Amino acid sequence: MTREEKLQLLSELCLEFGPTGSERYVAKVIKEKLGDIEYTVDRLGNIIVHIPGEGAPKLMVSAHMDEVGFIINEITDDGYLKFDTLGGIDPRVMCGKYVTVEGKEGFIPGVIAAKAIHHQNADERKKVTPHKSMYIDIGATSREEAESLTEPGNSATFDSEFVIFGEDGAFIKSKAIDDRIGCAVLLDLLGRLPKNCPFDLYFCFTVREEIGLSGARTVAHAIDPDFCIVLESTAVADLPDVPESRRVAKLGDGCAISLRDNATIYDRDFVNFALEAAKKKGVAAQIKKYVSGGNDAGSIHRSVDGVRALAISVPSRYIHSPANVISTADYLSMSELVLAIIENGKEL
Amino acid sequence: MELEKLINSLSALMSVTGHEGNGKAELESLIGAGFDESFTDAVGNRFFVKRCGREGAPKILIDAHMDEIGLIVSDIKDDGFLTVAPIGGVDLRTLQAGDVVIYGKEKIFGVVGSTPPHLRRPDEGNSLKEATELLIDTGYSKEKLSELVRIGTPVGFKPVYRHLFGSRIAGKGFDDKSCAACAVMGISRVAREELAGDVYLMLSSREETGMFGGAAPGAYSIAPDYAMVIDVNLGKTPDTSKSETVAVGGGASLTLCPVTDRTMNKKLIALAKEKEIKTQVCVTGGSTGTNASAVNLAGAGIPCVDVGLPLKGMHTATEVLDLEDAESVAALVALFVSTKDLTEVTA
Repeated sequence: MTREEKLQLLSELCLEFGPTGSERYVAKVIKEKLGDIEYTVDRLGNIIVHIPGEGAPKLMVSAHMDEVGFIINEITDDGYLKFDTLGGIDPRVMCGKYVTVEGKEGFIPGVIAAKAIHHQNADERKKVTPHKSMYIDIGATSREEAESLTEPGNSATFDSEFVIFGEDGAFIKSKAIDDRIGCAVLLDLLGRLPKNCPFDLYFCFTVREEIGLSGARTVAHAIDPDFCIVLESTAVADLPDVPESRRVAKLGDGCAISLRDNATIYDRDFVNFALEAAKKKGVAAQIKKYVSGGNDAGSIHRSVDGVRALAISVPSRYIHSPANVISTADYLSMSELVLAIIENGKEL
Repeated sequence: MELEKLINSLSALMSVTGHEGNGKAELESLIGAGFDESFTDAVGNRFFVKRCGREGAPKILIDAHMDEIGLIVSDIKDDGFLTVAPIGGVDLRTLQAGDVVIYGKEKIFGVVGSTPPHLRRPDEGNSLKEATELLIDTGYSKEKLSELVRIGTPVGFKPVYRHLFGSRIAGKGFDDKSCAACAVMGISRVAREELAGDVYLMLSSREETGMFGGAAPGAYSIAPDYAMVIDVNLGKTPDTSKSETVAVGGGASLTLCPVTDRTMNKKLIALAKEKEIKTQVCVTGGSTGTNASAVNLAGAGIPCVDVGLPLKGMHTATEVLDLEDAESVAALVALFVSTKDLTEVTA
């Protein structure tokens, strides 16, 4: 894929609808992209592509399809939608944002709202409004109107543009870069695998990461891999008002390799091997320098009799918001880093 | 719909208070054709005049403010981050993770920074950052950014427009450019010979920052015989009471209070009913909270009515209004500029 094609692919995947539990929309796009490549779908909705390597160790490479979002839990008499969150979203990034709501037929636009600043008292203006005090306005004026359009149990995502911005287009802003970027890299890699691949490969597009690292758990059980690489985006804060010790990683310095996070202690030999492979191929990589977050590796590495785990993440500012920001170069280097590891796999 | 298009076009212009002149050429090309002349005064009010062609005809002022809330660059930090100060009553709960445009030498896209739950510290509790504590992420180097942006460069919400269900629409800057669009549309629907007088449309400056508004000097210099001030009005939401709001979909609101003219209000409400223009009243004990309070006391005093377009989410990037209400406001403007002897007491 050319640079343009890679950016187009990421844009298409990020803008697709797929909050946790409603991955079927983005899954459909991924299946279309797989084209002639054979895949299976398990009972939870995970998509698995097996590239056999006889007698070789099993390597599972995974990315989750779901994104954080909202689920409608009530329609009010005056036609507003009350909601709960799917995954961890700070209420500070919800209010006043556009959302796309899963309708009875197709998608409908909406706005997350709360009472206007003019009606807030001095105390309210300084405090976070909890999401339970917000509602989605879809333009309906009555329960009947709203019920004709959608229903409780339907979900919603942020409605946010995909923008390439900054000096020479060095950055990308979008919703759902977490973790459509991993999905994009898997799709890119499928056409670029070496002929004598030293692994029995399983590429997995998983469901329900944002709530309990769930989908990956059952896939890993079915595959029983020897190794896993989780492709992710990780929260960083390389900002001028954050002390160096809490910045996690820096955008533009390559993908981040985790030593540990709140769900996994990674295989140290695998980490060192990955860093060495990156160096050999001249691909930028950095170590994630802060213990935070967690990803599908948390459930994969403890599955069956244990799996040697590695996480490669594109450093991302403001994740779990309508505006994730990443470095374009970091994204483009992610496939190269994974390829470097696979190509040198015999030495692992 | 013609009115929807104009609301969208006007609202998309950046007109953060103090920078109302930013879209001057676009504004002229959007609405200028329907007027005889246009000019800007010393405080940034933009006037569009449509004459009735009769000597000694009364002067009618229609006011809608052109400015919108926003941000202004206060400093340029390392790695292309900007700090900002608020202009007007920016709703802090809605800024983080929003898209903005920095109107420097070039238009620059920016994201308002936020902290993900993964990196939030427990001691932050439910506190909300002040506007001055936020960082705007531009993706530029400090060096390059300094060539394009300086302290004082305005920052506006990136315009994104959505048509919601039915006749409801969402976007930024509806306060008060949706009303400006209604005024233009209303005036354009009345033929010159049908006008009750010479109509001065004042797209006034500096309303959002309160005390320094352009409406007072603007109304003074025109010295109209009577005036209509049009502004968005707080629409009813689930978390507010009926008495402190107006109904979205309930039509144009007319404010009954000591500031507004009782005779004109009564006549307009009766005439609107005759013409089947949907109106509702909004009652307040003191000031209108709009330019009407300033226009009313300009010069030797100007009888005025205060018309509201119901709006939800006021001062956010996703304000919501009902186009049917907007049509009612436009119709009321047309009625206002075409009705003779509006101020005359007949009862």
